[in-house]
Amino acid sequence: MSAPVSETATAALQEPDQPPAQRGGKTPWWANQRIGLLVLVVLLATLFGVLRPAFFNQQLVVFPLLRDIAMFTVVGLAQLCVLSIGHMNLAVGRMAAFSMMITGISYDLWHFSLYAGLLVGLIAGAAIGALAGWVIARTGVNSFVVTLALDFLLLGLIPLVYTGLTDNAAFVTKPDGMREMRNYSLADICIGNVCGSPAVPQLALFAVIAMVVVGWIYSRTKLGRELLMTGTSVKAAELSGIPTARRVITAHAMSGCLAALAGFMLAVSTGSIKATIGEEFMLPSFLGPILGGTLLAGGFISVWGTLLGTALTSVIRKGLDLLGVGLESLNIYLGLILLVALSTDRIRTVLSERQEVRQR
Amino acid sequence: MTLFVAERVDKLFPGVRALDGVTLALEAGSVHALLGENGAGKSTLIKVITGLYRPDGGKLLLDGSEVAFGSPHESAAAGIGVVHQERNLIPGFTVGENILLQKLPTSRGLVDRAAIRSEASRWLAELDLDIDPDQPVTELSVAQAQLVEIAKALSVESRVLLLDEPTASITPNEADRLFRVVDKLKNDGRAVLFVSHKLEEVFQICDTVTVLRDGSSVLESGALADLTRDQVVDLMVGRVHEALSLPPRTVDRSVDPLLELSGVSTATGHADIDLAVRPGEIVGLYGLVGAGRSELAKALLGLDRITAGEVRIRGRAVRIKNVRDALRNHKIGYVTENRKEEGVFLEQSVSRNIAVTIWDRLSKLLGYVPAKAESALVARYVEQLGIRIASPAQLAGTLSGGNQQKVSLAKWLAAQTEILIIDEPTVGIDVRTKDAFHTLIWDLAANGLAILLITSDLPEMITLADRVVVMRDHRVQGEVANDHDYDRMSQQVIRLIHAERAVA
Repeated sequence: MSAPVSETATAALQEPDQPPAQRGGKTPWWANQRIGLLVLVVLLATLFGVLRPAFFNQQLVVFPLLRDIAMFTVVGLAQLCVLSIGHMNLAVGRMAAFSMMITGISYDLWHFSLYAGLLVGLIAGAAIGALAGWVIARTGVNSFVVTLALDFLLLGLIPLVYTGLTDNAAFVTKPDGMREMRNYSLADICIGNVCGSPAVPQLALFAVIAMVVVGWIYSRTKLGRELLMTGTSVKAAELSGIPTARRVITAHAMSGCLAALAGFMLAVSTGSIKATIGEEFMLPSFLGPILGGTLLAGGFISVWGTLLGTALTSVIRKGLDLLGVGLESLNIYLGLILLVALSTDRIRTVLSERQEVRQR
Repeated sequence: MTLFVAERVDKLFPGVRALDGVTLALEAGSVHALLGENGAGKSTLIKVITGLYRPDGGKLLLDGSEVAFGSPHESAAAGIGVVHQERNLIPGFTVGENILLQKLPTSRGLVDRAAIRSEASRWLAELDLDIDPDQPVTELSVAQAQLVEIAKALSVESRVLLLDEPTASITPNEADRLFRVVDKLKNDGRAVLFVSHKLEEVFQICDTVTVLRDGSSVLESGALADLTRDQVVDLMVGRVHEALSLPPRTVDRSVDPLLELSGVSTATGHADIDLAVRPGEIVGLYGLVGAGRSELAKALLGLDRITAGEVRIRGRAVRIKNVRDALRNHKIGYVTENRKEEGVFLEQSVSRNIAVTIWDRLSKLLGYVPAKAESALVARYVEQLGIRIASPAQLAGTLSGGNQQKVSLAKWLAAQTEILIIDEPTVGIDVRTKDAFHTLIWDLAANGLAILLITSDLPEMITLADRVVVMRDHRVQGEVANDHDYDRMSQQVIRLIHAERAVA
């Protein structure tokens, strides 16, 4: 029984003399938030490069900068997954720490290989995330509260396990390949005679994979669409036949899994698996997605935006650092620049709307 | 005496001239109707008058002197009270606090509860309302909330009162109470602007009328006594509007019902509900607001618990767990009455709004949804329902109410449902789109769908339903076979509502 609508109904349903209400059918390119961010990142990088040519030093600056950007992009994606349903994950850093603890145990006690340990960590992250999601879906308590509580719980639990299992609050066993993973760049990957750039760390590949997978899920699959619909309106989603409780659990599980990946990237780049992993994750996890246009309220995400938003903050941080701005005042400048970035974005939107009115 | 004039007002939005030289004059001691189809500019005009929007041309005159309001606060201070289409009571507060929200009485910086109580009581008494000012607003019925909003609008000592579709979600009886209040306001010498889609009401309580079409006034302050209903409709529609005539449609009574309820009781208070809908049949569910009709629909979908009795679908007893179960396993769809919150995803594209029910069916390995198949299906239903959009990527929130409702219906057609529960399909929808909807629902039944139609719009019920089941207090009062004769049917239905229930 497909489309049981007759010709007469179709004819009757035409409303010939009513223009469709539309808003912002075509916005000019400069009003696009992502392009604005890209321009800003390039401008700032150029500025820092002119002021301090050392900014473009491949080994000492660009390589670690890209490694940071890659890691914080994954952190941002972890937050993005829960933002997509209008939730928050305040335990994003602690979930990373928890997963890495499990990974550390797998290396130390069970003598797992590098990638097997990563896999165990990812599963642990997904599990702890799913637990958070399950509690939220079951109790209906706000995600803010639940993940905050979980954060405290893990904050107590993790050091306890570390003191029980290790001497110096860090797992000492380093599986084969970990050191190489930290130091290798694309220059170490060659196809025939063509090798990659020595400025791009191999670790960044993890971020690329995460971006591709998350981007694919949200743009091409049923799951991603259902997450976004749940984020837009839980009520309408439930009444349209979307299993919203299950989607809440999925989103948090994805978040936990990505947090674990970020934790792994941090562990590899610092060379140690310790209890404090992920402590600095929480604020950047929001900055990247929000700067990139992902809505706090849910229903809209941008993977590219998350990368660009993360790149912006990392470039500013690194640039100011090179300019000799002390750690104390660095945060002041960072805050100011971010405020300007967000306001210019708003101004762009308003300008493009005005221009549209004038064109009619 | 003319209290308020909006003179040649223009308002521009991106891409739309929402108001084009509209003039509106409100007289003291008179009720003025503002009519027009959806999107004609009625709500925009009200927002300009109250200072929510700034006019791009023209001027506003209060008592003959020009005024410019920068915010609703300023217009309220000048004596213009407004009851918006959307409910604006704040849930956590009491009736009294809501009424006096704009100027809460304080003593030494603290809220003065005693003063609130006495002040609010005064305004409630002014409207002859028997509502306790200390009651939380969440306990009010829809109609009571409406009346409290009027008290709130009056509390700013307003002489001009704007009512934007106050009767959209209340029943005729409750509306009568509202009209008595409007009458009283008029006799007190206030100027009232009344916006409604229900012409019966307009002719009942209004003195003069302004008709808007596509943002301009096609009739300014005409005396309603000199106009007929048809003339007004023609002015609104812009061409001669013919009464809807639907082709004959017969229901095969020998076929077993698709949906059957026997002795159903629910956790929300329904008792002993019997109901049956056959394929090709439209069964109307009529009753006052609060009779439990939408709640019954939600219990059917598994959103509330069914405590006793049996629900049979295609002859088999079933227990539906949720909407997903209803859709997947029983092919039941539910077009909600609450379009903006439950029916459409306002911040998502039209395409996603329609496709939301079919991703299950379309998805391939790993949940991949082929974009081509999706957009083809969407395009089909956009065309068949005549949904007016610039592109499928347009946000549903930017559509007119009628088009949003079409989107809300389209997703269930796309899901190939066989049983449709349609709840208040045409609330706040203009005459022409309403006719189109009626034709559509009629055709759906003609094509074999079983339709349970819940509506408080009696003319709509009598136009569409094959049988009308009347409910009161969560019980079935009785049933009337529809002969489509409005006078006879409306009498029978109303009589049934108020009939004493036979003691079992």
